[in-house]
Amino acid sequence: MTRLFFATDVHGSEICWKKFLNAGKFYNVDVLILGGDMTGKALVPITQLPDGRYKATLLQQQFLLNTEDEVRDMERRVGSRGYYPFRVTPEQLAEFEADPAKVDAFFHQQMLSVLEKWMGLADEKLNGSGKRCYVCPGNDDSPETDEAVLRSKHVQLAEGKVVELGDGFQMVSTGWANITPWKTYRELSEPELAAKLEAMIPKGVDMRKMVFNFHCPPYGSNLDEAPEIDADLNVKEAGRALIPVGSTAVRDMIMKYQPLLSLHGHIHEGKGTARLGKTLSINAGSLYEQGVLQGALVELDARKGIKSYTLTTG
Amino acid sequence: MSESTLFLRKATGLVRSWSVFDAFIYAFFSINLVTLGFYIISQMYFFEGGLIPALVISGIIILAEVVVYAGLIAVMPRAGGDYVWQSRILGGGLGFVLAVTGWWFILWLWTPLYADMLRHIFFVPLLGVLSLKDAALWFAGDANAFFLVCVLTAVFVTIIIALGMKTYARMQKFCFWVGNAGLLVVCLFLLLSNNDAFRAGLEANATKYFGAPPGVYEATLAAGEAAGAITPLMGGSLTAIFLAMPYLVFFNLWPNWGATLYGEVKGADDFRRNLQGMAWALIATTLLGVIFFLLVNKTITWDFYTKANAAYWSYRWGFSESAPPMGSVWPYPAMLAMFVTTNPFLQFVVLLAMSMWFFGWAGTVFLSSTRVIFAAAFDRLLPEAVATIEPRTRTPIWALALMIVPGLIVSALYVYNVANFASLTLASTLVIAVTYLGSTVAAILLPYTKKDLYEASPIAKYKVAGVPLITVAGVIFALFLVFLLYQWLLDPNALYGIGYSINENGYKNGTSLVFMGVMYLLAVIIYVGAKMYRKNQGVDLDLVYKEIPVE
Repeated sequence: MTRLFFATDVHGSEICWKKFLNAGKFYNVDVLILGGDMTGKALVPITQLPDGRYKATLLQQQFLLNTEDEVRDMERRVGSRGYYPFRVTPEQLAEFEADPAKVDAFFHQQMLSVLEKWMGLADEKLNGSGKRCYVCPGNDDSPETDEAVLRSKHVQLAEGKVVELGDGFQMVSTGWANITPWKTYRELSEPELAAKLEAMIPKGVDMRKMVFNFHCPPYGSNLDEAPEIDADLNVKEAGRALIPVGSTAVRDMIMKYQPLLSLHGHIHEGKGTARLGKTLSINAGSLYEQGVLQGALVELDARKGIKSYTLTTG
Repeated sequence: MSESTLFLRKATGLVRSWSVFDAFIYAFFSINLVTLGFYIISQMYFFEGGLIPALVISGIIILAEVVVYAGLIAVMPRAGGDYVWQSRILGGGLGFVLAVTGWWFILWLWTPLYADMLRHIFFVPLLGVLSLKDAALWFAGDANAFFLVCVLTAVFVTIIIALGMKTYARMQKFCFWVGNAGLLVVCLFLLLSNNDAFRAGLEANATKYFGAPPGVYEATLAAGEAAGAITPLMGGSLTAIFLAMPYLVFFNLWPNWGATLYGEVKGADDFRRNLQGMAWALIATTLLGVIFFLLVNKTITWDFYTKANAAYWSYRWGFSESAPPMGSVWPYPAMLAMFVTTNPFLQFVVLLAMSMWFFGWAGTVFLSSTRVIFAAAFDRLLPEAVATIEPRTRTPIWALALMIVPGLIVSALYVYNVANFASLTLASTLVIAVTYLGSTVAAILLPYTKKDLYEASPIAKYKVAGVPLITVAGVIFALFLVFLLYQWLLDPNALYGIGYSINENGYKNGTSLVFMGVMYLLAVIIYVGAKMYRKNQGVDLDLVYKEIPVE
């Protein structure tokens, strides 16, 4: 019996990453899988004032920070939402505002620095635990993310690879997605994505023992329902007009190969399960901003296939 | 130029904002004046508290509910609403029982109530205006016709769900404008006409369309007087006004229905937008109700309107043996207003436009329920099959079946009044109020039991005298809910008839108590049964909402 825990889209939330690492012991699983989009989306400046105090704005609320402890607490709060806090002087802030390239470079630096720290934490937690941990960066993660993961001793980069889960079960993973309105790092047109997926799926193997770990959910599966947005990225109908935004290529591959299980993320609102033919498809969803780690706990049995599964809100 | 406080990169899900007006429309339809409002207010003919003060005061109190829900959504958005909030804060068992009773089981009882509104604001007046008197009277008074409308309601909602939320949201917007245009015309007729014209119009139209006998105006006044119509439009003691509220909240307790938040939460603006969408809906609906009934008073007169309602409901409920002069035709105020003209084309167009208030709203009966059923299935408390989508029509057939089949069974009990089932109308509100109480208690505790979650949310800075705003609003709303539940369940003044009245003259409604008890019992059985079944499969459902330690 192989027990696996799948989570996804932690987007820089240190709380979620720590919970993910602890999930192995908490749920008593053999394999931990992170489905992508590890890195955060925002930088929050904590600006030093002339009198030595600091100020910061979090969630549109301004905070005046009088002591070093308060600054550290603010850094913790910013980090808990998946944002990257950084201390600046007003002059440095002005330089950032004037130079988007500088912001971009600093963003990368922060992302990689946090990832390095996360990999260190993972090595510490997983060392001697006997648990395997696979990470597959998602469309929001820059290519440098892979390099940071590769430097870890205990976290294995799963992108494009077929890995063994135990009891003869295998998993193939990718964080590439179809085109989004945000033009992120790992996006392809549907035909290109189909070709990429086709190339990485091993041929001649028992698909009843295969897991597809594809970041993007299959189109029209109910795991891919997101609020419709207009050209300016405003949510239409106050978020009630939900439309399928998943990938037809992912759907086609699932329907063609009928793996035992497919694991997805990408659409945070799309938490749920669906049956596509014989395949059980799961989107674990994400509540990373609240420090809540949504996940899926799956038991794989060499004879029965999926013995049990549960979606968790940990 | 203000200095930057946040640098965002291009990443999936980073949406900008949404229209408060769009949020307003959904909330506005959820506290639907023309369907829920007219329907329940017409039943309130025996109260000593004035309708307008009851509307205004209850509206002010329900603003606390808006704060509670806007706060919960801001702290835990996209989380599945009451079910997840309660499961996360109060525990999985309580969360499941309160969510499935309040968002699923009790909606079975709402099926005949929606249908009753549909037949009285759509079929009866429109068929009457088309001079199809027999058909109109059949829909108005025949139990089989009523049941047919229950089936049609279920079919309509199924089609809405199959069309999807995007289509429904657009349809709602169309219904919003057309329905309000219809209401504006109705108000103009009431404003520009007078009681003499109404009396003459009633005589002419009620006779022509529904076969009412001559002298229907005076006869209705007499029948209403005999039925005990006393509710004033204004005035009444504060106690009497509050005692009207357990009825009135059937209409205005729902501004939070379906409130959502999508995309990344960027800050307090997101909280304020949701708050504003719901609050403005509540305020606008309350004002609209006040204006409408003042206009009714001007032209139809409140006295006639209340007495027409008393004549209708006292006969329908079996308190009076003599049929009202208008027979089984419900005194739909928009129809009465349109009686000031004798132009059937104008009447038809306006009443058809008014029916959009129903069609833009009716999807609410099952939409939220299917989501709760899905969430429970994902949590393995229900079989996986109930969350499946039929691929051709993209319809959640099993979830719908779990709504429609019991909904039609309950409809039959209600329509044919088995074991006095028709007396259960307010139970539809009671059970949801219990669910809201669960979420409200969760909201009160949230800043203390989920400190990190709360502190990292956009509402953390909103405080009243140092106490978190969500806690203060929660206490106010919880007290209101406890007051409502006390009145409904123990009914000390013998006014509501759905509990076990401690008043010696009050009704001890065994059917109501058994029905509600069975629902809670069923929820407990499903929860305990699912836990045991999953345990045998090696699945520990206690883990579903258990928080993973961070350190």
